[in-house]
Amino acid sequence: MNIKRSLRNNGLLELGFVLMIAALYMVFLYVPTEKHTGIVQRIFYFHVPVAWVSFLAFFVTFIFSILYLSKREMKWDAIACASAEAGVIFTTLVLITGPIWGKPVWGIWWTWDARLTTSLVLWLIYVAYLLVRGFATEPARGARFSAVVGIVGFIDVPLVFLTVNLWRTQHPTTIIFEGGLTTPMLVTLLVCIAAFTVLYVLLTIQSANLKSLDTALKRLKSMHTG
Amino acid sequence: MENLGYLFAAYTVIWAIVFGYILFMQRNQRRLQRQINLLQESIDKTENDG
Amino acid sequence: MNKSFVKVLTVFRKDILAELRTREIVVSVLVFALLVLVIFSFAFDMGAGMGETVAPGILWVALTFGGVIGFNRIFAMEKENSRLEGLMLCPVDRAVIYWGKLAGSFTFMLAVAVIITPVFLVLFNLPLLLPRLALVIVLTVIGFAAVGTLFSALAINTRARDIMLPILFLPIVVPVIVAAVKATAPVLAGAPWADMLTWLQVIIAFDIIYLVVATLVFEFVIEE
Repeated sequence: MNIKRSLRNNGLLELGFVLMIAALYMVFLYVPTEKHTGIVQRIFYFHVPVAWVSFLAFFVTFIFSILYLSKREMKWDAIACASAEAGVIFTTLVLITGPIWGKPVWGIWWTWDARLTTSLVLWLIYVAYLLVRGFATEPARGARFSAVVGIVGFIDVPLVFLTVNLWRTQHPTTIIFEGGLTTPMLVTLLVCIAAFTVLYVLLTIQSANLKSLDTALKRLKSMHTG
Repeated sequence: MENLGYLFAAYTVIWAIVFGYILFMQRNQRRLQRQINLLQESIDKTENDG
Repeated sequence: MNKSFVKVLTVFRKDILAELRTREIVVSVLVFALLVLVIFSFAFDMGAGMGETVAPGILWVALTFGGVIGFNRIFAMEKENSRLEGLMLCPVDRAVIYWGKLAGSFTFMLAVAVIITPVFLVLFNLPLLLPRLALVIVLTVIGFAAVGTLFSALAINTRARDIMLPILFLPIVVPVIVAAVKATAPVLAGAPWADMLTWLQVIIAFDIIYLVVATLVFEFVIEE
């Protein structure tokens, strides 16, 4: 499993690098400045992909949590946990870049719209995932408990989104993104999404490998000394 | 070119946090490496004694 | 099928009897919820005529945080007396244990709500006979209990059980809290059914989803 991962890693790293350079080029040199909001709007090209990746990460955690609970192999737990960590990282980025974009454009740091609120709740749920592992009495329990959180938490996400959406549509203080996406904007966005997805995959594989190594090492240690 | 500062801030934060995470993983890797070395020494010792 | 139901009732009965004897859960939650009501009223400066807007929110904050205190206790008894292991040795379906404890925690929370709500209505000068409010409360407490019972069993087995429960519980019940507050406001204002119907549907959907999910997932929490 480790060997297969590193082979994929080699091609992936190059791809990721190329994609990220392409993304930078497109965001700063290729795409025209948006008429209404000016140059600050370019934050959008990183803010949206990062948000998408955070959802992807938690979906992966959800799937591998289910896998772990049914198969009980630590490698599934390693991926679930690595993905949750990456998810928290990317959700943090959403929550920071959102206000940085919001303040100059709409004059406010924060609004309780469906997307930002869901990201905030998502952040809280997956921090809880990591805390459960930290406060568990032993690693096997930590893996099992956090898998439960990974499953229960992910199911909550659409509920939160729909509920907050319903709430906000009754209070039209939501910010409406004016204008659609022109083709150059759409292409730029897609390249950025691809670039960040590859980045996420690289980080998660790396992290999961480290965790698997850690588990194997602990087992060897106990075999050797025990 | 108003609000350039905000644009810079957003991108800086992204890279700072991503690199922070990579650093965190590096530290973990070094810790693991140290433990592997210790384990190796311990194994060598028992082989030599036994 | 019938046998499982009887077992659920047994677990439930045991909890109710224990609680009737000591009354420790209901009393502590009641006092705490009351304190929350009072403190939040001061915090929002109730004299300034803000009453109507914040009233639903204050009620649900009190019930939510009271709930957190209560759910912490649901499995505390089992853990302290090592009764959980005994329970596990019985050849019962894990879901049965969940539903037994669920019935207990639902009842406790409902008892607290039944006492706190009239106090709340009096403090805010609202009419006392509000059957629609009762409906909202019952439905929401089901949702709270479904999630709270599951996470109570989980948190009790960690090293920081008092803090893990709220950290796990509160983000998950965000949808049902939003819906409960939005459903309560029309009731307090005497508005028509239509205003609260969608929110009731949200609460019911949440309840069904989490009752199912928790039942499926509970065995993984208490296995040893």
